Amino acid sequence: MAVKYSFQDHLINRQAEAEAAMLKQFEEGHYTLQNPLVVYNAYLVNPLSAVVCFETEEEVAVEVTVLGKTPQANMGHTFPKAKKHVLPIVGLYSDYQNKVEIREYRGDSNVITIDVPDVFDGKKVIYSMDTTPEYLQDNVILVSPAGEDLAVAFDYAGDARWHMNVPCVFDVKRLKNGNLLMGSSRVIQMPYYMSGLYEISPCGKIYKEFRVPGGYHHDEVEMEDGNIICLTEDLRSETVEDMCVLLDRNTGEILKTWDYKDFLDPNTVSHSGSWSAHDWFHNNAVWYDKNTNSLTFSGRHIDSMVNIDYETGKLNWIIGDPAGWPQEMVDKYFFKPIGNNFEWQYEQHANLITPDGDVMCFDNHHYGHKEVERDQFYTANNSYSRGVRYRINTKDMTIEQVWQYGKDRGAEFFSPYICNVEYYNEGHYLVHSGGIAYDQDGNPSEALGAFAKNMGGRLESITVEICDNKKMLDLHVPGNYYRAEKLKLYSDGINLELGKGQILGQMGVTKEMETDIPLENSGEMLPERCNARIEDEIDRFTFFSRFEKGQLVMLLLEQGDEVHRYFISTTAVSHLAMCCGTFLDSDERNTRTSINKAGLKGTYDVRVIVDDKKYETGVQITC
Amino acid sequence: MLKEVSSAEFKELAGKGLVLADFFSTTCGPCKMLSFVLKDVEKEFGDDLSILKVDFDQNKELTAEYGVTGYPTLVLLKDGQEVGRLQGLQQKPVIVKLVQEHK
Repeated sequence: MAVKYSFQDHLINRQAEAEAAMLKQFEEGHYTLQNPLVVYNAYLVNPLSAVVCFETEEEVAVEVTVLGKTPQANMGHTFPKAKKHVLPIVGLYSDYQNKVEIREYRGDSNVITIDVPDVFDGKKVIYSMDTTPEYLQDNVILVSPAGEDLAVAFDYAGDARWHMNVPCVFDVKRLKNGNLLMGSSRVIQMPYYMSGLYEISPCGKIYKEFRVPGGYHHDEVEMEDGNIICLTEDLRSETVEDMCVLLDRNTGEILKTWDYKDFLDPNTVSHSGSWSAHDWFHNNAVWYDKNTNSLTFSGRHIDSMVNIDYETGKLNWIIGDPAGWPQEMVDKYFFKPIGNNFEWQYEQHANLITPDGDVMCFDNHHYGHKEVERDQFYTANNSYSRGVRYRINTKDMTIEQVWQYGKDRGAEFFSPYICNVEYYNEGHYLVHSGGIAYDQDGNPSEALGAFAKNMGGRLESITVEICDNKKMLDLHVPGNYYRAEKLKLYSDGINLELGKGQILGQMGVTKEMETDIPLENSGEMLPERCNARIEDEIDRFTFFSRFEKGQLVMLLLEQGDEVHRYFISTTAVSHLAMCCGTFLDSDERNTRTSINKAGLKGTYDVRVIVDDKKYETGVQITC
Repeated sequence: MLKEVSSAEFKELAGKGLVLADFFSTTCGPCKMLSFVLKDVEKEFGDDLSILKVDFDQNKELTAEYGVTGYPTLVLLKDGQEVGRLQGLQQKPVIVKLVQEHK
């Protein structure tokens, strides 16, 4: 039997079809305020949303209010005057008969009902939310995926009011126009390198996919002119997570590239406990500081935050424990601690610079020492994580710790990976410990979340907001979440714009294996036990298959004498970093190999070498 | 020269000239792929390089002596002294570059 084949159109195209069908229905019907067209989950990816369409005789502004379970939980927005109203409804409850009030400005109103099924399939998505409606108001705390639990946002009462049913992972940022910027849902290389970024409305409409040749991971920043700084890498090089690009907001083209090997030597950097030659930097955050026109990168595997000049790429300073660095680097770029209670950060995440130049991060404090002090590594049981704020003086190169939160909570707040801090104002911060893991015996896990879960463990996230040293919010949820962000679902920006989204930028050429395995075609079909399937898309395809551990496997694309070879590893890799385990399979035999069509032209036969035999799949891919 | 060797043979051969030790396992897909890559590397260097394959599981003392903790691991020796190391499956140009740097 041939390998199963399916074509999955791009989400932007599927959304365009869904929107066109909705608008056609709207045009063909007679929908009024009292009898509107209600399309649940109109853009397919946010099952706690809808779009309401109706026409009024006169141009009129319309206020929409999703009626909360309490009046304080109402969420609403007033849309500009129009005759034809196509209004996004966000903030619906799961497993609930939602009531939504639609009110004309100085006119009539109607309350419609939108039945929403249990979008979490009975799964518990929250333990507790401890805050007040006065504090959180109509904001939600949005947590983005680091594991199998997808993005979700909670209101003051702890009710889920926003959710995505596709795996848009890593950071979520609110853009100046009101849209959200987040990782795309298309993984192009395991374990978590995504095709790029989505600019998306809170109701789920994707306006743009910014495809990045080296993929996207971890973090992104909107610049003042709207262009986007995106963390990436060279997928064809021997190292990962050590590159950053500036993307043109309108075209997706790369305007500028920073290769970290230009300002750091991978052979002389000091090592964190999770360091590997392949993932020597592990860049998990980027921050642009307008006051100094500089970029700050968080490098988990060098226990450091590294600042460079935006224009020249010249290294300015490094915040981190200097142990293990060459002395000339220490003398030139590192800070000397002053003041009391100072501690360095270890394997930190989410660095940011406050308006007055202080540097904050989530100090995971994983291992609590550099690799050169391995014998002093903390165990998970004895570990802590914290949000921390440092004051730096770049003239005399001193550093002072001016604030921290989390150390006193010990192991219950310890996340060896992921997490973030947010600066709202002086003394007002968010600290998200999203990578808490317990082993199957209930002890703090030495393994990172995704692996702890696969070994029968339990995952948690705790998010707190602190104002003047008083805890104002405490969100406790099951599962690990990469970051937490506070935002309003409705914005003063776009909310919903009609028209087809754009697929911008380019996919990179997938790295090939240069060495041939000389075998003749067997003519046999890939065995059914491989449970193989191919999911084809406009710009890449993904080969899913199961192999036994240790088998030699290579995917081949053949067109006459032209052969492209892609090695598939069947060896379980012990990852020292797994910031997003969303795409990991609990069965290690299952492989997932994505091949970009960039660099390929024509129609190729897909064949697979398994050990000493070359098999047919019966599938052809056209590029 | 490319051959699989025992610990004793390795010690006999590793002290002279350029030697690339391939610590492999028979239960490892990337190791199997690396074997094909090393055949190509052998063609590139001929007698200038000895490629000695060491079964990780059968030569525990030797792997410990060289501080090899995972497979595949390539250790480049020049007159018995380690001058380079690569971990994981590597493409031919990476290996060739390492060897050429120490020829």
